[in-house]
Amino acid sequence: MGNSAPNIRVKVLFFGRLKEIAGRGEDLLDLTEGAPIETLFARCVAQQPELARYRTSLVASRNQEFAAWSTPLHSGDEVAFLPPVSGG
Amino acid sequence: MPAAANSDLILLVREPIDAPALIQYVRAASDGAIVTFDGCVRNESRGHRTLYLDYEAYETMAIAKMSEIAGEIRAKFSIDRVAIAHRLGRLEIGETSVFIAVSAPHRPAAFEACRYAIDTLKRTVPIWKKEYFEDGAVWADGELPPAPQDTASSKRAS
Repeated sequence: MGNSAPNIRVKVLFFGRLKEIAGRGEDLLDLTEGAPIETLFARCVAQQPELARYRTSLVASRNQEFAAWSTPLHSGDEVAFLPPVSGG
Repeated sequence: MPAAANSDLILLVREPIDAPALIQYVRAASDGAIVTFDGCVRNESRGHRTLYLDYEAYETMAIAKMSEIAGEIRAKFSIDRVAIAHRLGRLEIGETSVFIAVSAPHRPAAFEACRYAIDTLKRTVPIWKKEYFEDGAVWADGELPPAPQDTASSKRAS
């Protein structure tokens, strides 16, 4: 277990229905260097439990690129949780 | 990912899309064909009468993904210029939400590239629409973009 103190700050963005559920479009969260996107999402769920049921129907991005849930995060990263897209 | 050429025009706009300007933008003396796609707001969705739509985007990433699409079609097809514009905010029935123009020396490449561009845009560009009906509003069913899968090498010991 990596229980070291939070030492990085990342920006998290919500869009579409996730923004409505989260009650905000963006947030700043403190994590431990190298923590994966999965951990960031768990932190968001801790704040707003209703987000949990969208875990399997969204994709994540890190710094404007689609990213795996295991992607490690670094200070200043911008992560977004993206529901199915419906442009066009 | 192939980079878009500097000549590609990639736009997110909140005003009506100026389609003739985009067509003019891709037109060149060496081109024998311009193919366009005009995506417009339909008046119904699965049997419900639509009043209007509201589009939102993750703007910086949407521009990046639209530019990647321009680069991809340039790599795959023998085309000349590309213009892709998507509108955001409230759109009324019949208005254009997305417009794509592709020019090429010969028409087959322009047709194929334009089709590829809109199909890819609908699957990968982070834009969302909310549909407003007489009895409420819903976020449109969309497509989940393909994302990199977790692999053993990228997995972190926990």
